[in-house]
Amino acid sequence: MTKQKKSLYEGMYILSATLSDDARQKVLEKISQGISNRQGEIHKVFDQGRRKLAYEIDGRREGYYVLLYFSLSTTHIVDLWREYHLNEDMVRFLTLRAERVPEKIEFKPIIQE
Amino acid sequence: MSTFVKKGLLEGVFAKKRKSCPFTAAGVRHIDYKDLDTLRQFISERGKILPRRITGVSAYHQRQLAKAIKRARHMALLPFVAQD
Repeated sequence: MTKQKKSLYEGMYILSATLSDDARQKVLEKISQGISNRQGEIHKVFDQGRRKLAYEIDGRREGYYVLLYFSLSTTHIVDLWREYHLNEDMVRFLTLRAERVPEKIEFKPIIQE
Repeated sequence: MSTFVKKGLLEGVFAKKRKSCPFTAAGVRHIDYKDLDTLRQFISERGKILPRRITGVSAYHQRQLAKAIKRARHMALLPFVAQD
């Protein structure tokens, strides 16, 4: 009846580092399709590249980190997670509500004596 | 007079230095789990979250900090347990 409420989210994904560039591109497409098929909108993609994992996950020592900012109806997030759990190329994911889309991923150091 | 001075000295030795919260001082509103350089300052060598009795972080920020560290651990940005 009423319009569904959309919220801004940030999603961080760890993709398998063993994927080839093409395969990774496909996984990324799948992620963005999963959002756009649910009337979501992707605002920004930060490709953070290959990174050593702080601990081993399923025998993997490295992961490919991608950060996504998107808005999506709040009711679709659960579906999205269910889909992510089935995706074997995705090592980990984290979706959080975001307040705004940042220009850069950068932090000011806090001063400590 | 001399006792007075001594007392003052002793107090100087045992007086706790008032720690101030680095986040409050810097005017931090939100602690981000991606801000690893900051988070690393508040975990021990083993990877444990340092108690605020040591770091002097305010209760409000300690709650945020703990959450941020746990999120970073989930995304394998920080270790749960650091190996030696």
